[in-house]
Amino acid sequence: MNRGTPVKLENVSKRFRTPKNGWYEALAGLNFEVEAGQFVALVGPTGCGKSTALTLLAGLEQPSIGLVTVNGKEVSDIDTSTGFVFQHDATFPWMNVYNNIAAGPKFRGVKDYDQSVRSWISKVGLTGFEANYPHQLSGGMKKRVALAQALINEPSLLLMDEPFSALDVQTRAIMTDELVSIWETTGSTVVFVTHDLEEAIALADRVIVLTAGPAQVKADFKINLPRPRKARDIRFTKEFLDIYQEVWSVLRDEVDIAYQRQLIAPGKEK
Amino acid sequence: MAEKFLTDSEIKHARTMHKTKVHALQLAVAVALLGSWQLLADHKILDAFFYGRPSGVMHQLGVWIQHGTSIGSIWLNAWVTFYEATYGFFAGVILGIIFGVFLARNPTAAEIFAPYIKVSNSIPRVVLGSIFVLWLGLGSVSKVALAFVLVFFPVFFNAFQGTREADHKLIANARLLGASPRQITMKIIFPSALSWITASMHVSFGFALIGAIVGEFLGAQHGLGLLIATAQGNFNPNGVYAAMLLIAVMALTAEWLITKLENRLLNWRPTQVSGSEL
Repeated sequence: MNRGTPVKLENVSKRFRTPKNGWYEALAGLNFEVEAGQFVALVGPTGCGKSTALTLLAGLEQPSIGLVTVNGKEVSDIDTSTGFVFQHDATFPWMNVYNNIAAGPKFRGVKDYDQSVRSWISKVGLTGFEANYPHQLSGGMKKRVALAQALINEPSLLLMDEPFSALDVQTRAIMTDELVSIWETTGSTVVFVTHDLEEAIALADRVIVLTAGPAQVKADFKINLPRPRKARDIRFTKEFLDIYQEVWSVLRDEVDIAYQRQLIAPGKEK
Repeated sequence: MAEKFLTDSEIKHARTMHKTKVHALQLAVAVALLGSWQLLADHKILDAFFYGRPSGVMHQLGVWIQHGTSIGSIWLNAWVTFYEATYGFFAGVILGIIFGVFLARNPTAAEIFAPYIKVSNSIPRVVLGSIFVLWLGLGSVSKVALAFVLVFFPVFFNAFQGTREADHKLIANARLLGASPRQITMKIIFPSALSWITASMHVSFGFALIGAIVGEFLGAQHGLGLLIATAQGNFNPNGVYAAMLLIAVMALTAEWLITKLENRLLNWRPTQVSGSEL
């Protein structure tokens, strides 16, 4: 499985055409690497290009300049060895829970997927809901489906784009907990985008702070909190609060910059 | 102030009462309309020679059923119109879906064909009926062709639009999960375009019937359209109404079947909030 560094961005820039025929620069010379099995959180102010970095890693978009490699291979098209959990609901509304989770194996032509589908259904706590359609599920349950849908393919790299941002605070805390315990059993590499610093520290081995867009790495923190973690409780420990203060002092400046810009140029957000 | 919750049977009773009331009033509307028509015709206020009368229509239907029409049994004629419309409908729906999805998935092809599609859509398609009778003769084939042309375009445009509006997130997700372009078309695009497609099917069976009947007006050996044309030629308004009645029964049956099919295909959708049915 180890065919080189799992994730490597070298001098990556990305710009988009704006509707008014200008350019919008999302990333400008972004560099970072992720080691195998590491859980990395990318945090940064709104609209800084965090999500763009993820879409480049997944191969949904190509960089304008620079090189993106996953497992030592340049990403030039959609890479099916990565799993992706989207910010908004991307479960298939016409498939029930079972078929949503079985979608990956079916698309890939895997036979005998039944057992692994059932085991994932139970791992994400959806036993009994196999026949339900997404519209019959709560927001948290849909996220569980999305998580199982991505993880059943045993991706070497899991990308998550603010997966819990649409959930209410309590559901979000529960999901964070469950993600930690599920991830600790799979050991895949994770890049997790969020603007919630608390969530980032509770989940990750490493927190990378990005600058206000176009994104560059502003700072890189190792999170030496013990594992296995209980994300819900760890937030109140002294170690957690110390790290939080340290990272926040760096992030705050960027958040201010981003906010000031929004005031000057409203509606520029991507 | 209510002292206790309503029981199930009380709620059920209230619903049944409401339904019965609605049905009774619907019947009253029909009786009032048909009754006044009959009365006006009986008292020579409406000229029954031009306007016919309900009893005349029933009589005409009775004659057709018992003795057949001038162009063969009534069932044969109804059947001919029905299968012309049905063939045209299915051909139009299937090809409309295939072309719509294909062009929406191939933007270059869509760009190339766009002006041709616009031009052919702007032709009043009923006039093609004359061409089809010339090309394909007085038999059923020319009617099927006309019904097909009328059905194809609405289904095509809806399938095209439905495909275009398929959620890009879902497509990206499917690609990451390992779906091939073919699987994306079949498992993602088609289901998401389906509510658009079934919406167009509701209108298009009506179009298929128009195609079949107009085709029969223009020249045919059998069919309800020919029966109407014959009744018109004989100054027999009751014959026109009687044939209309049969066509209405056909259209309503088809509509009922399409709704059944729609509910079956789209059973994953949240149940619609029930309201008045129109």
